[in-house]
Amino acid sequence: MENNVQNQLKSIKDSAIKDFTKAQSTAELYNFKVQYLGKSGALTEAMKLMAALPKEDKPLFGKLVNEVKAELETVYSDIESKIKNKEIDAKMQSEKLDLSFSAASFPLGHEHPIFKVTNEIVSIMSRLGYSLRTGPLIEKDYYNFEALNIPPNHPARDMQDTFFVDESHVLRTHTSPIQIHSLENEKPPLRIIGTGSVFRCDSDISHLPNFHQIEGMCVDEKVSMADLKGTISFFVKEFFGPNLKTRFRPSFFPFTEPSAEVDCSCPICKGKGCSLCKQSGWIEIGGCGLINPKVFEFAKIPYPQWQGFAFGFGIERMAIIKYGVDDIRHFPKNDIRFLNQF
Amino acid sequence: MKISLQWLNDYVDVTDYFKKTDELAAILTRAGLEVEEITDQAQALNHVVIGHITLKDKHPKSDKLSLCQVEVAKGVTAQIVCGAQNHKTGDKVVVALPGAVLPGNFAIKKSKIRDMESNGMLCSFKELGVDKPSEGIVILPADAPIGLPYADYAGQSDVTFELKVTPNRADCLSHYGLAREIGCLLNRPVKKIEIFSKFSNQKTTDKIKLEVNSDLCIRYAGRYMSGVKIGPSPEWLKARLESIGMNSINNVVDVTNYVMLEMGQPLHAFDADSLAKSTIQVRRAQPNEKFKTLKEQDLTFKGDELLICDGEKAVALAGVIGGLNSGVSEKTQNIFIESANFNALSTRKSARANGIETDSAYRFARGVDASQTLDAMDRAVLLISQCAGGEAFGNHHDVYPKPVTKNPIETNIQTISDRLGYAADASLFEQFMSGLQCKVSKKSTGVYSVTPPLFRFDMEQEMDLVEEYARLNGYEKIGETVPRFDRSPTQHDAFYILKNKISNVMQASGFSQAFNYAFTSREQEQKFMQSAKTLQTYGFEIDDESVMIRNPLSEDLNSMRRLTSFSIWKNTTENFHMGNERGQLFEIGPAFSKSDGRYIESNRLAISSWGNEFGLYSNSTPNVYKVRSAIEKLFSLLGINSYTFKEIEAKVSFLHFGQNAQILVEGKAVGFIGTIHPQLIQQEKIRVDVAVAELNLDLICLGQPRPMRFKSVSAFQAVVRDFSFVVDSNKTMGDFMIDVKKSLGSVCKDVHIFDIYQGDKLDQNQKSISVRVTLQSGEADLTEAQITENVNKIMVSAEKMIGAKLR
Repeated sequence: MENNVQNQLKSIKDSAIKDFTKAQSTAELYNFKVQYLGKSGALTEAMKLMAALPKEDKPLFGKLVNEVKAELETVYSDIESKIKNKEIDAKMQSEKLDLSFSAASFPLGHEHPIFKVTNEIVSIMSRLGYSLRTGPLIEKDYYNFEALNIPPNHPARDMQDTFFVDESHVLRTHTSPIQIHSLENEKPPLRIIGTGSVFRCDSDISHLPNFHQIEGMCVDEKVSMADLKGTISFFVKEFFGPNLKTRFRPSFFPFTEPSAEVDCSCPICKGKGCSLCKQSGWIEIGGCGLINPKVFEFAKIPYPQWQGFAFGFGIERMAIIKYGVDDIRHFPKNDIRFLNQF
Repeated sequence: MKISLQWLNDYVDVTDYFKKTDELAAILTRAGLEVEEITDQAQALNHVVIGHITLKDKHPKSDKLSLCQVEVAKGVTAQIVCGAQNHKTGDKVVVALPGAVLPGNFAIKKSKIRDMESNGMLCSFKELGVDKPSEGIVILPADAPIGLPYADYAGQSDVTFELKVTPNRADCLSHYGLAREIGCLLNRPVKKIEIFSKFSNQKTTDKIKLEVNSDLCIRYAGRYMSGVKIGPSPEWLKARLESIGMNSINNVVDVTNYVMLEMGQPLHAFDADSLAKSTIQVRRAQPNEKFKTLKEQDLTFKGDELLICDGEKAVALAGVIGGLNSGVSEKTQNIFIESANFNALSTRKSARANGIETDSAYRFARGVDASQTLDAMDRAVLLISQCAGGEAFGNHHDVYPKPVTKNPIETNIQTISDRLGYAADASLFEQFMSGLQCKVSKKSTGVYSVTPPLFRFDMEQEMDLVEEYARLNGYEKIGETVPRFDRSPTQHDAFYILKNKISNVMQASGFSQAFNYAFTSREQEQKFMQSAKTLQTYGFEIDDESVMIRNPLSEDLNSMRRLTSFSIWKNTTENFHMGNERGQLFEIGPAFSKSDGRYIESNRLAISSWGNEFGLYSNSTPNVYKVRSAIEKLFSLLGINSYTFKEIEAKVSFLHFGQNAQILVEGKAVGFIGTIHPQLIQQEKIRVDVAVAELNLDLICLGQPRPMRFKSVSAFQAVVRDFSFVVDSNKTMGDFMIDVKKSLGSVCKDVHIFDIYQGDKLDQNQKSISVRVTLQSGEADLTEAQITENVNKIMVSAEKMIGAKLR
């Protein structure tokens, strides 16, 4: 075969590789591809030389052209992918974003601390088999007082400054009426918690006229003070932390007998004394006791066949202690700078 | 109640606790008598001494101040600037030296007053915490020793306890009563109280006639004393009363108060000569009967109050307060001392009905021991005869028709053990009960009949004995167990679960939860909502009338709220003015109405969104769409697919009339949504757009939770077609989109608007709407013919619903 034919193929190949390498963009590269490998490209034109070759050289020539073609295709796709990578890099370079700040803001909403605490208590008590009940806020005198062994004109009514709606209705002063509704509507054994708004006509730096309580009641065949103490102690540890201690002090509530007030060791100062616990190391968190048989009598539940205990806590107080809120008046204010911390 | 330790010490020996008052307080608290405050008077008067003014000069720079040289110890003189006017050179005064902390946490320091050095303060009674009327500083007698601590001089070395006595422990509302309790707690003897016994031969019954005509009077006793000399009380009596914060009036009145604080028995001394017809009559009041109390309050009785009357008129509201017409005055010579016992509930009722609170009514309401009526009377007679002289007549009155008794209570050690959760001890039980002055009789091993003393009104049933045992043994002895959990638990209140679901989806949408009072200002709310009737068409039970509170704290909180969106609007304005220029709030809370005499509490969801994420003045999605989007997420969570937001004729008055809608779920109105009316925005000086919504959750939550069912996901090609229609600018798109879904049926997977254009290229009253419809079959790829058929249906719907032409 004539050397010049071979040289011609080589020079096409060399020139093509040179051009391909020169290309700056996929478009330019493609133009070169057309120029060499296209329908009327240099290599296609070179095929025409085959006609003039002696018969015995034709297969070899064909083979050579195909080799050059294949080599150029390979080089092309190598260069193409390099250019493409470069182009994507350039695109990304131009699309650089400053992620050190937030340009779009879709903030999360927050749960009000009152309900956050409520839900936490409900979930702790759920594990002991308690389920939640509610009741009306405008409550019959009977449910708020009488059925809880607080007869009309009884001095125990002085313990709760009451808002009156009419002769026989008050804004409930505690969540305890929920106990009575449950005793009337469900059959023992019972393990319930009641929660919601309660009202006292009392408003100062440490009291809201509309605040929240959570109440628990267990009615079963045999219920003791030790059961009550164990339940509250479990609850306090789950809620505030495992190192907290609880203390029971004798007290008086008309609907429980014996009655106790519950203190927990101050979680802020760990019992050493601070302003939250007024230097005592203890914080009062609620009241409790065994259900007074008179309450069972009102609700027509046979005693001592059924016995029970009940306890109640102020939710705002729990939130104040748990989160270190410095002023109870934050709760009804709804400033988002306060809410969004929870 | 204030308790003086010195006084207590008269009956039970607590001298060993004077230096460790904390311990005594802890013992009482542990027994259920919480000591809230301990006041050590001597401590409060540290660095307060008696001084001698050696020279009183004018302050060189003030007309009102004086500059005093005061000898505060032998040979030590302090210069003190004083603002009082009643002192002179040579006076003995009370000096608080630097370091003293006077009542009210008032610390005395060295200071300069108008350039002159002042090394202490000359004190008035008020500054010393003594409740004695006085003008200026205290001037002491000339023989008061210079430099002596004032506490020693005044005998103020007492310690007082502020005791929280729960309503069941009426027996501890006196020093003797508390001494009895301490005697039991410390196992110490309690001394008897000395009473008068040397009565004259003259008869009380000859002087005063007594008629008791009501069973509300349990016991009525009285004794006559002649020739008493009314005057100031002796110092010891004054000091006792002052130590617990009571003012001295005169010797006779002071004695009656003293005996009440000592024994818990309220007494009253009448000027016997003022009693018409020398008669005491106990009866119920007539309706509208008038009476003037000794504090000069004019009362008009309802008609069931128990009165003490003379032969003509009321002289006291029984157990509550005496009358102006019959009290002891300077001129009084003969007195009739009443010691009585009145029905607890009726005394409390008549005190409250007439708005009078007295120490007497407080004690009667809680219970006074009817067995000590005579002893208390003659205790007073003894003290009066010592302080005011006079002759005590014999043959006292005592009407006590039905002597009070206590029923025995049966109990056994097993019950006590069961209830307390530990093994109770029989001998300890016997010891506790006799310490409490109960009569104990043992029926058999561990079985007892216990009769409590008359003064323990709270001990009525077996559980009271259980409590006494637990209390005296110490609550710390009770162990900790958890009741066995072998019951199947019931489900939480369904609405609680739903509310939490709703709360969670609102939080996920970026809204924070608010809590507002259930009451509000009726006037402000009415002004905001204007017409309750309009709001009824939005699906609320709401009335022009509010549920009012009879005794509101203030006019701002005088009625139960009818609208939760008013609360959240107020939260929004307050937030904005606190510098929170954007924010999103929601509240799940109650609203109230009254229907057929029943109170209805409905559950509402209020939502507010204000401002925008890119600052005060830039544009972003209108807030009303953010609120709508949150509501749609909520509906999606609740499985509500069929809902519309519809503009209706009756606009909510506090909303922008071009940006508000009724929300319907399955054809039923459940609430409203809209942008706050620009006028309100201006009034409240809010500079951003505010959208609110309120939903009736009771309606939305009907039938919840809805069962969720899986629908298979199509594996075939989805076809998307975009349309641009030109429509009248007042057309709303909601119904059109629903109609498209309805006419296409299940093949229509989505319809949404992706562009709205109004401007130069269109007529002024036209807008262009771009709608994207997604079609997909669950059975096969859609054919061209099927696609064309559906597109035609869309065109028909557009023509019918919004009069649209393809652009």
